[in-house]
Amino acid sequence: MSPSVLIPVLLILAALIPALASAVLPGRAIWRNGVNIAFAVFKLGVVAFALAGVAAGTEYEWRVAFVPGLDMILRLDALALLFITLSAVLWLATTVYAIAYLSGTKHQARFFLFFNLCVVSVSGIAMSGSLITFFIFYELLTLATWPLVVHTGTAKAMAAGRTYLAYTLAGSAALLAGIVWLESGAGPVEFVAGADLSGFNTLDQSLIFVLLIGGLGAKAALIPLHAWLPAAMAAPAPVSALLHAVAVVKAGAFGVVRVIYDVYGIEAVAMLGLGIPLAILASVTIVYGSLQALRQSDIKKRLAYSTVSQISYIVLGASLAGPFAVIGGLVHLVHQGLMKITLFFGAGILAERAGISQVDQMDGIGRRMPITMTAFTIAALGMIGAPPVAGFVSKWYLAIGAYQSGASWVIAVLAASSLLNAAYFLPLIYRAWLKPSGGGLPSPEALAATRTWMLILPGAFTAAAALGAGLFAGFELSPLGWATLIAERTYLP
Amino acid sequence: MSAIWLLPLAVGLPLVLAGLSALPGIRDRSLTLAVIAPAPGLAAALFAPRDDVLVLPDLVLGVSLSLSEPGALFLGGASLLWLVAGLYSRFSMRGKDRAGNFALFWNLCLAGNLGVFLAADAITFYVAFALVSLMAFPLVIHDRSQKALNAGVAYIALAVLGEAALLAGLILASGAAGGVADLKAIVDAIGLSPDRSLILVLLIIGFGVKAGLAPLHVWLPVAHPAAPVPASAVLSGAIVKTGIFGLLTFLPFGDGHMAAGAVLGALGFAGAFGAAIYGLTQDDPKAVLAYSTVSQMGLMLAGAGAGLAAGLDASVLMAVIAIYALHHGLAKGALFLGAGAMAETSGRPALRLRAVLGVVALSVAGLPLTGGALAKLALKAPLGPASALLITVSAFTTALLLAHFLAVVRPSGAAHAPAPRVRSVPVMLLGAGALILPWAVWAMSGLPAGYAWRWDNLAAGAAPLALAVLVAALAHRARLSAPRAPQGDLLVPAMVMLSAMGSSLQRAIAQAEKTLPRLLEVHVSKRVLRLGDLADRTEAALPAVLPALLLALILLIAALALA
Repeated sequence: MSPSVLIPVLLILAALIPALASAVLPGRAIWRNGVNIAFAVFKLGVVAFALAGVAAGTEYEWRVAFVPGLDMILRLDALALLFITLSAVLWLATTVYAIAYLSGTKHQARFFLFFNLCVVSVSGIAMSGSLITFFIFYELLTLATWPLVVHTGTAKAMAAGRTYLAYTLAGSAALLAGIVWLESGAGPVEFVAGADLSGFNTLDQSLIFVLLIGGLGAKAALIPLHAWLPAAMAAPAPVSALLHAVAVVKAGAFGVVRVIYDVYGIEAVAMLGLGIPLAILASVTIVYGSLQALRQSDIKKRLAYSTVSQISYIVLGASLAGPFAVIGGLVHLVHQGLMKITLFFGAGILAERAGISQVDQMDGIGRRMPITMTAFTIAALGMIGAPPVAGFVSKWYLAIGAYQSGASWVIAVLAASSLLNAAYFLPLIYRAWLKPSGGGLPSPEALAATRTWMLILPGAFTAAAALGAGLFAGFELSPLGWATLIAERTYLP
Repeated sequence: MSAIWLLPLAVGLPLVLAGLSALPGIRDRSLTLAVIAPAPGLAAALFAPRDDVLVLPDLVLGVSLSLSEPGALFLGGASLLWLVAGLYSRFSMRGKDRAGNFALFWNLCLAGNLGVFLAADAITFYVAFALVSLMAFPLVIHDRSQKALNAGVAYIALAVLGEAALLAGLILASGAAGGVADLKAIVDAIGLSPDRSLILVLLIIGFGVKAGLAPLHVWLPVAHPAAPVPASAVLSGAIVKTGIFGLLTFLPFGDGHMAAGAVLGALGFAGAFGAAIYGLTQDDPKAVLAYSTVSQMGLMLAGAGAGLAAGLDASVLMAVIAIYALHHGLAKGALFLGAGAMAETSGRPALRLRAVLGVVALSVAGLPLTGGALAKLALKAPLGPASALLITVSAFTTALLLAHFLAVVRPSGAAHAPAPRVRSVPVMLLGAGALILPWAVWAMSGLPAGYAWRWDNLAAGAAPLALAVLVAALAHRARLSAPRAPQGDLLVPAMVMLSAMGSSLQRAIAQAEKTLPRLLEVHVSKRVLRLGDLADRTEAALPAVLPALLLALILLIAALALA
């Protein structure tokens, strides 16, 4: 096989093999963990190789007839690699974390089977070269995630699982309807060429767009289709971390980006007048999510509503058009992932080691868990947009992009969102570091007994990455550098 | 290695030392290490080439650093103050709780503070500004007393608000300039942008919070008394200067923005006089000094506002305000450290220390031929006669306020204990710097060498002081010998009235604090809560009907498509 074909296939296999291995190696934790970590590292290597190739202008593509006349296409372009790199890095961190988090619990084999299937689907979504390929992996993701959401099997988790399926399957139905309608007129849609929309009148074009974005918006947690996300925080911490940072919400946001750039094209969306309504919807989601986050006293729920708000930054960037907004939205795909996964790792550790799930239980925990809470603090500051953490870079580009698109009101939305983020994150930091600890905290000796490095280091690593992505944003291979490359290739083909 | 590398080193060394002070093995010595942190900044102010730009494209969004001639004054003054205050804190904070913590945030704050004066593009400027702004918070609340925590809340709330306003303003300006971060392009674009007024308002709010612009100054008088002595010194001497420096850097001087300039000037003078008078009602010496800072910053802000209205060139204003800021930073640092040293001495040594503080205070009030007089002359020179007159008159209120400071700063150490040398030497160093250094940089003002010796300038400096001494002496006598307010003495009733106004204001605030929450609770919060509950109920009910809704929608659209 030529490397062009080999790379996409390897990226899928790197997750598929550990999925199967986890299923057939039940009861042998060491083997299963070893296979999982080995393949996560291997995948990271393949991604590094592909990064060098794509930066130099190579494109990797694997194409196979799915049904006659309908090709299944896996293609690695710059945009796909942005998402793949994020997922590969965070997958490794989450695997390490999950092994420590779940150690000694039941149903680990099942967990890692679906966990890896989830990664297979995310890789597939990222590399999809056509709408139908995208849809297949998108559905696989929906199904692979459900067992993870309900992993604990409690009544609350099952209810969350039902809510999750109601939203995502309804979204998928809308997406499928949109795809079928579109391809009935335009033939199979490949992402490079975009769809030939000449067969539709403008009303139909707009309706198809609404169906596609509505379907994807359910996963991207666009208002009013967001409520499954706060409910799904009943899942175990590593699942929440992956769900909020790479898997489901990101797949939705990534889909929105693909539809706008590679199916319709930025000009067509602007001509149809669809960009601004979508930007308004995203802005409403940003503010609504932040307001809801402010009301929550449960840490994970507060983080979940924060995700609702932050994911819409990506949609906002895509809908605004204009090079700066494009860069801001794309780079936030990575930055939000790094910061949010750190926060969820932290929340999981707080719950697991100190029994803390509510905001007002956090008093004085900073001194007891300095590494975890330093990572948490860096990520929270990044969410607020405090420089030089990565969130600042996204906000700066989004705001300049909004100005250039003539949508200056977005700057007010971003400023309001920053203030709201400060209002719901600063109290956590304040309590953790500055308030004297109440009686409820476990003793330092008890904490020393649960000090598992595999639980603590992934969060420290992702926090360092979030800080580094902002501090060294000027480097060519930083997330910002890569997003700029994508924007250049989009605007200067 | 060329001297331009001193610029990144000035920011880099404090950052490295901050990183080191988080390490367990070094934490105990980090206060000592922190003393040398400002050294490269001082070296840069003296030796670095002017106006050369050093670009580090890979950092953040491309960091560029440069040092202008007035910028070097800001940088040098701030570095010197941080250095001496660091020496003071090395001995005053050592061995106390959280000394390592103090050193960590001290260094971070220092890095941001110096970075502001070195930034050559808007993003680097903002990053540094946010760093100094946020990292000053842990310094303010270092003592963890209830008073400090309350002060911290006031500080961080205003700081975050200012950051948001500043960021929005910079983004609008940068957007108008085509998305670049270059300072000159941004300043030019502000003047031409259709959102000019909005940008000016946002920038004035953003920088005004930090510079203590009335009415955004309210954090200063609570934060300064709450913070440890050396932190108050740098807060008042160096950190507030980032606000005025930002305004001078970003406001579009030279085009004559009448309205914005008039508002800034009016608020500046309101702060200059209002704070000086209000400060008389305070007993805590550090609070009195904080009001003095608000008042002095008010003069600089008023100068900037008057210059903006009159269309003065940025470089002219920058140069004279740099001289003013240099003097004020060092003098105010000396006064704060002196207030701290007084708390550990008494008897004759206390008298000596008070005499030193008296000389520094006289300089701040503009005693002819001191550094402070030079600073005032330089500030007045480019401004119109009305502004110049107001600045001259402000020396009177300043002198009264600082006389009040000297009266309330009481020695409270053991009997006849001399202040330890490690306390008094920093005070002398800074005081001497404040008195002398403006002479050394006088050439920057563009005024002739003998300007300060001219009889009219000597008189303008001496007259308000003489009047203030007279009034203060009368007040002193009146209070001691005739407490029932003798005739002809207007000061005492004014004081009484002011304190009555002050206390009734306080009562009113206390009253409002009691009633407002109740109002909010009954009328607003219930409604908001109900809205929130409604949102929760909607979110809970939605999944049940969603599939049906979507199916109906799809069918509807399909029907539309077929029709």
